[in-house]
Amino acid sequence: MKAVIVDYGIGNLHSIRKGLEKTGAKTEIVSDMNKLESADCIVFPGVGAFGEAMRKLEPIREIINGRLSSGIPVLGICLGMQILLEDSEESREKGLGFVKGRVKKFVADRVPQMGWNDAIFDSDEEIFKGVPSGTQFYFANSYVCFPEDGKVLSKSRYGEIDYASAIRKENVFGFQFHPEKSSIAGLKVLKNFVEIARGL
Amino acid sequence: MEAERIEMLTKRIIPCLDVKNGEVVKGICFKQLKGVGDPPKLAKAYQDQTADEIVFLDITASLDNRDTMLEVVQRTAETLFIPLTVGGGIRSFTDVRKTLSSGADKVSINTAAISKPKLITECAEAFGSQCIVVAIDAKRKGDSWEVYTHSGTKPTEIDAIEWSKEVCERGCGEILLTSMDADGTKMGYDIELTRTVVRSVNIPVIASGGCGKIEHIVDVLKNGEADAALAASIFHYGQHTVREVKEILMREGIPVRMEEGLR
Repeated sequence: MKAVIVDYGIGNLHSIRKGLEKTGAKTEIVSDMNKLESADCIVFPGVGAFGEAMRKLEPIREIINGRLSSGIPVLGICLGMQILLEDSEESREKGLGFVKGRVKKFVADRVPQMGWNDAIFDSDEEIFKGVPSGTQFYFANSYVCFPEDGKVLSKSRYGEIDYASAIRKENVFGFQFHPEKSSIAGLKVLKNFVEIARGL
Repeated sequence: MEAERIEMLTKRIIPCLDVKNGEVVKGICFKQLKGVGDPPKLAKAYQDQTADEIVFLDITASLDNRDTMLEVVQRTAETLFIPLTVGGGIRSFTDVRKTLSSGADKVSINTAAISKPKLITECAEAFGSQCIVVAIDAKRKGDSWEVYTHSGTKPTEIDAIEWSKEVCERGCGEILLTSMDADGTKMGYDIELTRTVVRSVNIPVIASGGCGKIEHIVDVLKNGEADAALAASIFHYGQHTVREVKEILMREGIPVRMEEGLR
């Protein structure tokens, strides 16, 4: 299995590549979106802005949604999670809509949320194997997902709202935090994702 | 009250690597530099001590008109699984893009933000606010603070509080605030400056300059209301580890990340 990292043409892709490779996964960064058609594991990284990313993905929206529905393992991080939903207050561009729901701007004293926040989850979740609930992960986001289907795997709190910090629908995972920047805890979660992906 | 409203987010402890010619140095009031180590090695050591983030500043780039040492950035990023912010000598959209492509998670802009404020907006729109940090070097002038550029050598006549508000409106995601009066003194952060900036903006503020002991960090997080504290010499010379600092902060009731149950 090779994790195909989608390059929207902007930002740092080293971190996620390095994180996945640390777990023993093979990776490829692709900027030719047509290559996603044959990918057997897709990673949408958490860099850039919603509109920019969707403009790049729009021409192959149907192909991507076909891949997401086909049961292949997919990981969306931060912005990469947000584009899985239908739309976002950040942009007029529509999201992929694989997960029903909207992305909204945080209402809080300080936006972006910048730093290490707790994720609360059920310790039986395979994706969090080896990580205690309440562990901090690194977040850097102004917008947050309100999914209406799929399963919420972990919750976090910021600015007096509880929000979905990790979700799963079929074999598509979304993390609002950056596992590749979350030290030991994040690497464990990435390793768990790769193991789940290999077992599918 | 301020702290209570964001209590679920831990306060960040950020070791700063001031880098010159590929070596970490710590300036005494930005002058008289002394070599203290190899950036990737030091960054990795801090990560292992539970540092929440690393800031890498090429302290001479603006002054000498040199490009940031992207190669050293790359080697440093390679060793890290925590966020890396890189600043110093970043003058254009292309510089920001290059720095991010070299493995930085955020870039810090100082002099160029003053000379071309539109750069902040452009970068925030393209890369997202969360990766654009504006560094502000402020020095007391009467009842207010003045912004300095070019590694603290050029006064701008711009008011630091007004500038903080402006960078916020322009889409900057975080302010790295250095008190030039406190920097290098080891007498503590400028609490008044920090608190005034924190209360004037709605983005996170990293306090910098003046840290000589752990109590100073407690002070700036509690009384200065900063979201994060940056320090250099207290860590570089082995005076304290990041973990020791966090243990004290925890005892003081300040939320910090300890990596419990993970090692």
